[in-house]
Amino acid sequence: MAAKPIEGEKKVFVTGNEAVAWAALAAGAEIMYGYPITPQNEIMHYWTRIAPKYGKKFLQTEDEISAGFTCLGGVLAGRKAFTATAGPGNTLMQEPMSMAEMMRIPSVVVICARGGPSTATVIYSQQETTLTCYGGNGEGLRIVYSTANHQELYDYTIKAFNSAWKYRFPTFVLGDGYQSKMRESLVMYDPEARGIEMVESEPYVLKPGVPGSDRKAAHLRNTYNMEDELYEVIMELVKDFEKMAPEVVEYAVHDCEDAEILLLAHGVVSRAALGAVKLLRQEGLKVGLFRPITLRPFPQEELKKYAQKAKHILVVESAHGQLDKLVKENIYGITTPISPYFRPGVGVTVEEVIQEVKKLV
Amino acid sequence: MDLSANNKLNIILMRLLDFEVKLLDNPIVEAYIGEYASGKSEVAVNRALWLKGQDRKVTLADLDIVEPFYTLRPIKKHLEEKGITVLAWETKKTMGLGEAGNIIKPELRWVLKREGDIILDIGYGVEGAKTLNLVYGADNHQFLKVIAVLNCSRPMTSTLEDIVEFVKELGRVDGLVNNTHLGDDTDLDTIQHGAELVAKASKMLGIPIIATTAMDRFRISLGETDCAGNPVFYIKRYMPHTFW
Repeated sequence: MAAKPIEGEKKVFVTGNEAVAWAALAAGAEIMYGYPITPQNEIMHYWTRIAPKYGKKFLQTEDEISAGFTCLGGVLAGRKAFTATAGPGNTLMQEPMSMAEMMRIPSVVVICARGGPSTATVIYSQQETTLTCYGGNGEGLRIVYSTANHQELYDYTIKAFNSAWKYRFPTFVLGDGYQSKMRESLVMYDPEARGIEMVESEPYVLKPGVPGSDRKAAHLRNTYNMEDELYEVIMELVKDFEKMAPEVVEYAVHDCEDAEILLLAHGVVSRAALGAVKLLRQEGLKVGLFRPITLRPFPQEELKKYAQKAKHILVVESAHGQLDKLVKENIYGITTPISPYFRPGVGVTVEEVIQEVKKLV
Repeated sequence: MDLSANNKLNIILMRLLDFEVKLLDNPIVEAYIGEYASGKSEVAVNRALWLKGQDRKVTLADLDIVEPFYTLRPIKKHLEEKGITVLAWETKKTMGLGEAGNIIKPELRWVLKREGDIILDIGYGVEGAKTLNLVYGADNHQFLKVIAVLNCSRPMTSTLEDIVEFVKELGRVDGLVNNTHLGDDTDLDTIQHGAELVAKASKMLGIPIIATTAMDRFRISLGETDCAGNPVFYIKRYMPHTFW
């Protein structure tokens, strides 16, 4: 059996889905649970082609509810486990991930957002932003990384395993159909070779020792009898989440310091926005881009700083106001006008962003 | 002359005629297969356009029935304007593409019966290569060559061992194309590294190399042959326009 999936570093040409499969392997994932759905399929295809060579496992379940719950089972048994899905599959995945929030189960889920609502298209959208951040009957206590390219899919898939196991909240890598299928070069690496220490996994159940005398009994619950009991549990979860937030929040800024028009975009759309910023700056227009990388928790204070200084904010997304909602919630009280450029289920080009910015000048 | 003598003469004449056809105007019939995202369609499109440039009659057939992305559909009209016959679905005429799989366009079943050169673009890796079985006459066509496209920057075909193992999985392969690149990040070393690996694989497999491909911009630095002595086929990139 081969020793390590990637020794040192290796420059390759891949689709985004392959980048995820390789990253999960490099991160030490031991098992993937999944159910096929476009545009996610090649994460499973490549995992099942590569993983057996390294003694890793795969379980195909009967649907995404099962894929999510079996993934949680794998984690409870102490395995680094993950799953990946899209669209309607993401909807079904919310029930298990709610349980993961309640029971602090470090599951990793990769989302390849496609068009919605319902089956819609297999292609692309950013319409799973709200669902991925706040799906389920809870408070949205999860980490959501929104990636923009193949290198980030690789980097953040590795990071997702560490954040999940360190903070014990379900962790999502939110990509999309474009990123899944696009072909780009990237540098794959062994995290260890770059000094990234992988957080060790541990079982939640069947720990050594006698419960009650050698160790505390593992009492894993997602059911409570009393309102007060639940209230205490939730407040404890929220406290932990808020304590964690400043440690995991990530964002990227481009030309924001003196920006009069501040573009807000996440994921692959931020590439179009960045392209527009570069060209508009050449024309002497003071345009900047704020890109939240973590959508949960959201880089609230950082955005406020730039939003306050700008004269106008333009929210660009391939959804009808899902990022917009996050932005407004997080900069409440700031009176800078906000304009939308919403393209639900459709890609956004540099030219379109330039056109929208010029309407504001 | 008795009947049997007449028949014999006919047969001889037919053979001679057949020989002349072969000698002068054999159709070029090629099926491009290979690892997912190895560049099959790009090589197929460039080959079809090159043949058209030689003033030949060319049919290009899209036999990717799995992948809804990066197929010939979006550039169908563009290629037809260049004088190639393109057999491919129009995206808007498909239903639930990528969700429920796809069927081959009925005319593709008989594509090998067409006159002139025929280039088959067969998508989606080892499983996709089996689509060739749906084409009538593919198993005994006189001129058909099955060509495997290899990009050694693809992780699953990046070592000699992996390439040899992968090509064996593909079934029938008559020729290899070294299409090693890193997209926009390709440099001369990338191409030559691929040329070396594919040359070694070719020896181990006993399958000849048809060509190394390279973007036009390498024409001066790379020249007519790669480091292993194989001809370089210069290409333009059409497929980035075909994302969806």
